[in-house]
Parts: sequence; C-alpha cells; structure tokens
Amino acid sequence: MNLVSERLNIDEYEEAVELFFARGWTDGLPVVLPTPRQVEALIAHVERDPQESLGPVPPKGGAATVEKLAINAVMGGCRPEHFPVVLAAMEALLDPAHNLNGVSQTTHMCVSLVIVNGPIARALNFNSRDGVFGNGYRANAAVGRAVRLALWNLGGATPGDTDKATLSHPGEYAFCIAEEEEDNPWTPLHVDRGCPVGSDAVTVFACEGPHSVFCYGTPEEMLHVLTDSMCSLGNNNMHVLGQMLVTLNPLNAEEFAKRGWTKGDVRQYLWEHARRSIGDVRACGVVHEQFRKMERDAGRYPLRYDLANPTTRVPVTRDPEDIHIVVAGGRSYFAAVLPGWGGFGGYAVTRQIRRPGGR
Amino acid sequence: MEILSPVWSSAKDGPVAKRRLRGLAGATVAIVDDNLDIPFTTRLEVLLAERAGATVKRLVKPSGTAPSPPALLEEAARADVAVVGIGL
Repeated sequence: MNLVSERLNIDEYEEAVELFFARGWTDGLPVVLPTPRQVEALIAHVERDPQESLGPVPPKGGAATVEKLAINAVMGGCRPEHFPVVLAAMEALLDPAHNLNGVSQTTHMCVSLVIVNGPIARALNFNSRDGVFGNGYRANAAVGRAVRLALWNLGGATPGDTDKATLSHPGEYAFCIAEEEEDNPWTPLHVDRGCPVGSDAVTVFACEGPHSVFCYGTPEEMLHVLTDSMCSLGNNNMHVLGQMLVTLNPLNAEEFAKRGWTKGDVRQYLWEHARRSIGDVRACGVVHEQFRKMERDAGRYPLRYDLANPTTRVPVTRDPEDIHIVVAGGRSYFAAVLPGWGGFGGYAVTRQIRRPGGR
Repeated sequence: MEILSPVWSSAKDGPVAKRRLRGLAGATVAIVDDNLDIPFTTRLEVLLAERAGATVKRLVKPSGTAPSPPALLEEAARADVAVVGIGL
C-alpha cells in the first residue's frame, strides 16, 4: 500500500507515547500508536485510495487524506469497521454549510457533535441509550476521538491560539452519540434529513454540552419544561437564532406518540412557544443588541419580528426545521437541550456512510 | 517499532509579500467586508476615501465567520493594499 507519511522508528514503547506529546501530535490524551500495519488495515477496509483527500481542514488547511484520517483514527482507538463512520463524519464536517472554520475558531463554546444513525450503530455497538453522552462504549469514544484528533492534527486549531474558545467544553475530547432507533416511535434523524430508510449516516451539529431537562408527564407538561429550557437568555440562539438540538429519551417520545404527537408536531410547538419577549432579551445588554442588529442589517434576522415593540416574542431559531430532535438516552425523567452557535454556523450536515464494497 | 506521522506537511515557501506602500493617497484599497458590522465597515470605507484619498473596493463575504471564497481573495490581491479582517 502506498503510504506517504513520515515514518519514525522508535525503540521503546514509552518513548513513542511521549513523542506524541512532545511533538504536539495529541490534544492532551495518550494515543494508540499508529503502526503502518494498523493504518493499512483501516484503509483496506474502506477500499479507498490512501491519497484521496476529503479537502483541507480549517483553520490551517492540512489535507484530510484517507491515509492521514486512518492514522488519526488508529490513534483514537478505532478498529477498521469504525473507519467508514469517521470518513462520513469528516465529509460532513468539511461541508461549507457546517462552517468548520468558524466552529474551530470562535470564542463560543460550541463543539461539533457526531450523531450516528442506521443499522451500523447497533452492529458496532454505539451507545444510544443510558449514559449516551457519557463514557463506557468503545465505538462512541473511538469515533469521537478520531474526529477530534483529525481536527487537531490536520486543522491545527489549538486553544488560546487559533482556537479562540474562551471556555469550550469536554466534548472537545470526544463528542459522539447514536440515535436510539429501535425504542423510538418516530423516523430517525437521518431519514428526516433525506437519507433512505435502512441506510447508515452521520449528522454533525456544533453545539454546547447537553443541558439537563427534568422532563416527564403529559405532552403538555413535557413541552412546558422543554420550551422554558430552550429559551434561556444565556444561549446564542435567543439573540441571533441559528439551530438547536433537543434530545428526548425513548419514554418521552413514546408518551408523545401515544397521544398522537408526531415529531413534526413537537418541533412546531417548540418553535412557536420557546420564545422570550424582546424586552426581556434586550435587558441582557447592548452587546447582545449589537450582535442582533448586525444579523438584522445583514439580512439574517427576519424582518417579520417587530424588535421595537418590547412585547414582541422572538423564537430561538429562524424556522421550525432548525430545531433538531433526536431520541436517545435512558427511559427516564431526563431530556436534554443543546443550544447551537447561533446564526454564525455550525449547522447540521448529514452524510451517508459508505459501506465497503458498495453494500 | 515503526509509527506514522499524523500531521500534514505544510508548504515550505509562502507567497512573496508585496512592497509596503508609502501612503494611501491614490492607492486602491480592498476591504474584505466580514458582513458583520455593516455600519462600521461603511464608516471605514468612507474614511479611507475621504481622509486618505484611497480608491476603495469593498468585497463582501457571504458569511463573516467562514473563509473568503477564492475569487474574492484573488480580487483583493489585485489591490495595492487589503484590509482582510476587522476585530469586533
């Protein structure tokens, strides 16, 4: 196999581990050592040219070749069968609609979440149930780490330098979940977004960490607490719109479905009711006001809202479709809201996962 | 043991820098407009023309937080000097 990356011969295991820290080739966690044999196994599995590039990775523009992505995937703990998921995630991240350049360098704390859908999620044992945003599952961890290491080593966004996030969040080490599709009365996210039923796909969306929502009861009660949680004055959405993710647990979704609520009904209700008066929003200060004015001057904040009237109620996204709903987590009392970056980007992008051999 | 480098090899030679201008009078100045603070950028455009005597080409990015399209960068590079970013 034609691999072009620099090869280093290291005598001792410990020395090799330390080399990755010394050269800045890892983001702070130790890595699996990428030997040619392991890297070749990943590339062979996807049956793609090692020198095929998915594009330059912002901000510094290193080429995301299949070879470099495989090296970083091995470092993150991936086995060959995980690699098609990593490639699809990188394709989605590099779509201009996601604006990875901005996501990687903004002062905001958003991080691109990877959401896996389709039969591959169950086949590879991705977690979509209890503890979905947490630890304990190799697939979530390895794919999450692979993506972050690829962005680190090829994009070169480093904190305080090219990555200007003033706080960021722990998802910057790994941020990958799967949607629960079996215990779910609705169509999965990737099918809503145009992928065929039964296909495998990855959706990326840049967002804050999950905010817990104590969500249990009738649809009306659940919607009451969800809408309140979504329109917190601290999130960017409340000021400059953008997109937002709502994670309902399977019991929440079942309760909605039993009472005849479709996912679209829930989304529409959330969009219409997760609102604050512009007087309330404006009380946050002049900086927030300035950003909203900039967005409005540039035509990105709809004119249909009369911002001069303090009683005007404004939504958290431009349109209902900008609220993404995913079913995941344990059957319980808890849902989650994950605000986005606002109107600046980080928008959801979905890519189908190519199955090796075109299956 | 043999291991592979995970980073890319960056280009060693960058583009040659243009010669620094002695003044802006009569010069063509490209403003890469971030499309964020429009009144501020408009004010800058006016000042460059009125006070400095520059001919201003204002090139508006589709998004203030995404990279400039290559065609926009090429047009900016044809000017004598370019303002490529404004901090907010």
